[in-house]
Order: sequence, then structure tokens, then C-alpha cells
Amino acid sequence: MSNTWKSDAMTRRIAARNASERRFRLLGLSAIVLSLLFLALLLFIMLRNGLAGLDWSFLSGSDSTDASAAGIWGAAKGSFLTMVVTLVLSFPMGVLAAIYLEEFAPRNRWVDWVEVSINNLAAVPSIIFGLLGLAVFINMAGMARSSPLVGGLTLALMTMPVIVISGRNAIKAVPPSIRTAAMGVGASPVQVVFHHVLPLALPGILTGTIIGMARALGETAPLLMIGMRAFVATPPGGINDPSSVLPMQIFLWSDEIDRGFVQNTSAAIIVLLVFLLAMNGLAIYLRNKFEVRW
Amino acid sequence: MTQTKLPQTKLTARNVDVFYGDNKAIDDVSIDIGNGVVTAFIGPSGCGKSTFLRSLNRMNDTIAGARVTGQILLDGEDIYDREMDPVALRARVGMVFQKPNPFPKSIYENVAYGPRIHGLAQKKADMDGIVEKALTRAGLWNEVKDRLTDAGTALSGGQQQRLCIARAIAVSPEVILMDEPCSALDPIATARIEELIEDLKSRYAIVIVTHSMQQAARVSQKTAFFHLGRMVEYGDTHQIFTNPREERTKDYITGRYG
Repeated sequence: MSNTWKSDAMTRRIAARNASERRFRLLGLSAIVLSLLFLALLLFIMLRNGLAGLDWSFLSGSDSTDASAAGIWGAAKGSFLTMVVTLVLSFPMGVLAAIYLEEFAPRNRWVDWVEVSINNLAAVPSIIFGLLGLAVFINMAGMARSSPLVGGLTLALMTMPVIVISGRNAIKAVPPSIRTAAMGVGASPVQVVFHHVLPLALPGILTGTIIGMARALGETAPLLMIGMRAFVATPPGGINDPSSVLPMQIFLWSDEIDRGFVQNTSAAIIVLLVFLLAMNGLAIYLRNKFEVRW
Repeated sequence: MTQTKLPQTKLTARNVDVFYGDNKAIDDVSIDIGNGVVTAFIGPSGCGKSTFLRSLNRMNDTIAGARVTGQILLDGEDIYDREMDPVALRARVGMVFQKPNPFPKSIYENVAYGPRIHGLAQKKADMDGIVEKALTRAGLWNEVKDRLTDAGTALSGGQQQRLCIARAIAVSPEVILMDEPCSALDPIATARIEELIEDLKSRYAIVIVTHSMQQAARVSQKTAFFHLGRMVEYGDTHQIFTNPREERTKDYITGRYG
């Protein structure tokens, strides 16, 4: 047979190639199934152990030595106040830093060094930020120990680099033709950024911010260092009151011997997961809402 | 050889060099660009014609390492002088780019943006007037007047480019620079832009960079031929295309290279 495409060798080759395609798809599918399986397992165990404990008195109460009286409200409010402090500080600072680095900073060795530092900062273990917060905010500045203010400041240090990095990527993704178009009608560099670049980059920046915030919400280690592991039986009235946060409450309860706290731990995990899912959902919603297609 | 007398010189360049870092992209170019005529820059790719065009409204300032020496005068004012504000200059010397680049906003906003940042309209009615006039001059008004709130990016390529021209003329420029404005357009859209250039030329000094020699011959009155960063020949378009003085110009025009 002279026909290359009908020869036996070619038929075998094509069959082998199709088989390898199928193997790859199966491998990818099983990777997804495996990771989702663990999530499902986690959810199942938590719901089985914790669902019964999720009642109004649990949602509205604060920590107590009595498992049946203990509730999540104090820690949830502490988390909320801490997140507010974190967001108010890290969002504007992160976005301004990203804009400056991307649009205004000269290209020189000094700026390269700043870039490397910010990238490294995002990778620093969170407990080190906790030590920094302890040294600077509590020991040097004399702020209140265990307070959402100090917790928020510490987490803001951690979140800012994440916002800078996602912000820079979002700004970089805005096509240069929009900048030249705006400059071509006589817009100043600041007008170019605030009228054109920033609105187009906003969905990406918001997504990065919310992911950074979600990470901060689940963070425990740095808050251990600044004393947010204290037993707090009343919800904080403001950002200077001693307070706990959700992941810390989970950590504290998981340490208790009393069987009643096992249920509380699972119920608190459910509450934290609901918060995280809501924040990620918000990120997806905002991205879709503000995304400009062209 | 009779030269068309320039009605009035708008832009004057004297001994202009443009560097990108250590690389000299433009070497000793001197040219007078007239008001009310269309001047075409032609030449092979990489000859520096776009670079020179971008130095006329200081668009090169935005490129790191770009440097311009020599003198470029707009109505006798040195545009590279300390006193000259590059932001205001770019409103006076408008630009239309190779690829249509409308803002991802409404058609109205695309045109109104320039006048708004320069405070050219006090009332909504004034702005409406500016937008209508600019779109009319750009030959787009009849096609878009009923859908001014639609996205500018939803228009066809040729319409987008006319929208970009409307956006440029909305800020009342004195000069319009066009950097290969038709290279992304089909022949019909190209013909409309060329008609538009013909209509606009009485009010502005227009400089157009083009790869198409036919286009240069159709739309321009003056043509400059660039090669390897130098301006080889500058003269009346008719003369350049029928009786070039320089051998290199002749070779390029007859398709020997480029």
C-alpha cells in the first residue's frame, strides 16, 4: 500500500494518540474530583457535628466556660471590626502603591528593589507579621492588646502586598491604546489614570482585594501574637476593646475537653465558611458587574 | 520646478534628531508643515516616519529613554520649551492612531471627554452642540445620532476610526496627526476616511503617515519621503510621484524596495 494515511503503522499511531488523550482527560478529572471530595468531606463532617448547635442563642451569644451557653457573636463582631480596620487601611494604600508603581514610578534599580520587596512581603509567613504588630503597635505605640485595631493594623500589613500585586496586574492588563487615546486629547497623567485606567482595572483590583481580605479573615497565627486569644465573654463595643475573632474562637474551642465544645467548634467553622463563601461570591459578582468588554 | 507656496507655515522643524536610548531613530530632519494642506509622510517600515510624527505632539515623551534634540515650532513657539505644557500641546496637536482606539464608553462620552477635561462647555446644551458638530465634521452624525448612548466600541472599525477623528476635533485642535489611520480598515471605510481628510483639510494642518503610496498621492498636497531615519525628499505630492529628484525616492515609488 502506498497510501501513508491508510497504513497499519499510521492506524496504530492514531489509536495510541487517542488513548493518550483519554488518559490525560481522566487524570485531570480525577484531580478535580479528589480535591472536591475533600471539600465535601469537610462540609459533611462539619454539618453533621455542628448543625445541631447552630441556633439563635449560639449566633447571638459570646464565649463562655459553659459550652451550652457559649456563642459566636462576640468573635463574629470582633472579626467584622478587624476586617473594617484592615480594609480601610490596606485598600487605599495598596491601590495607590499599585498605581504609582505601574504608571508613575521611573524605571530604575531603586524601583526594582521596591518591587522585589513587595513580592517578598506577600510571601512572608503570617506569624512574623504578628511579631511585628506586637513590637510596633503594642510595645512601641502602646495600643490596646487583643483589640480589633491592632489586629486590623497587623492584618492590613499582610493584605496590602496582595492588593498591590493584584492591582498591578489589573492595571497592566488595561490596553496601552486607552492611555495613548486619553493622552492624545490632552488628558494629564493623573486624569488618564483616574478617568480611564483605574475604572477598567477596578474589577481585577476588587477581586484581588476580596481574596486578600478572605485570607485575612481566616488568619490566626499573627493574632495569637498580639493577644487575641484571650477569653472574651462580652462582644467588643469598639475597635479598642479586647476581642476575639472567628478563626481564633475555633482554635480556642477545639482545645477544650468538654464534649459540648466539639459541636461549638463545628458550628463556628460553618459560620466562618459561610462568611468566606459570601466574600468569594461577592468577588465574582463584582468582577462580572464592572467588567468592560470590548 | 514650481513649488506650491505654503499658505501659512504651522509647524517648523529644524535639525530634529530623535533618540531611543543610544539609538538614533531620526537624523537631522528639517521641514515646514503648512496650514490648510495635507502633508503625507511615506517610507519603508522602520524609516522613522511614525517616530517623527509622534515627536510633533510630544507623544514620545511617554516612552522611556526617548529624547528629542533640535527645534520644533508650532506657530513660532518651541514645543519642547520648558514653558510649553505637553498636556495642553496634545490638545492643540490632536492625534489619530493606527488602530481605532475608542474609549469603552458611550459614543457621546467618547467625543465629550476631551472638551470636558478642558472645560470647553459650561452647560449641557453647549456640550451637546460640540458633540454634534464634531460628529458631523467626522461624517458620523447621521449614522449615530439616534444611538449616542451606545458603546463606542460596538461600532464597525471604520466608524470607530471616524469616532476617534471626531474625538480629536472636538477639542478644537490646530493640527491633526494621523498615524496610518486606514491600515486596519477595509477599502470602503478607507475611502470614507480619505473623503473626510479632504473635507477637514481647510480647517487644520493635517499630517498623515501612510504605507500606501496611492493613499499619499490621493489625499496629500505635500509629501515627505523618509528612509533610514532621514528625510530624503520633501516637495509637492505631484512632483514627488511624477518627477522625484532623488534616486532613492524614485526607487521606492516605483516599488524597487520597501
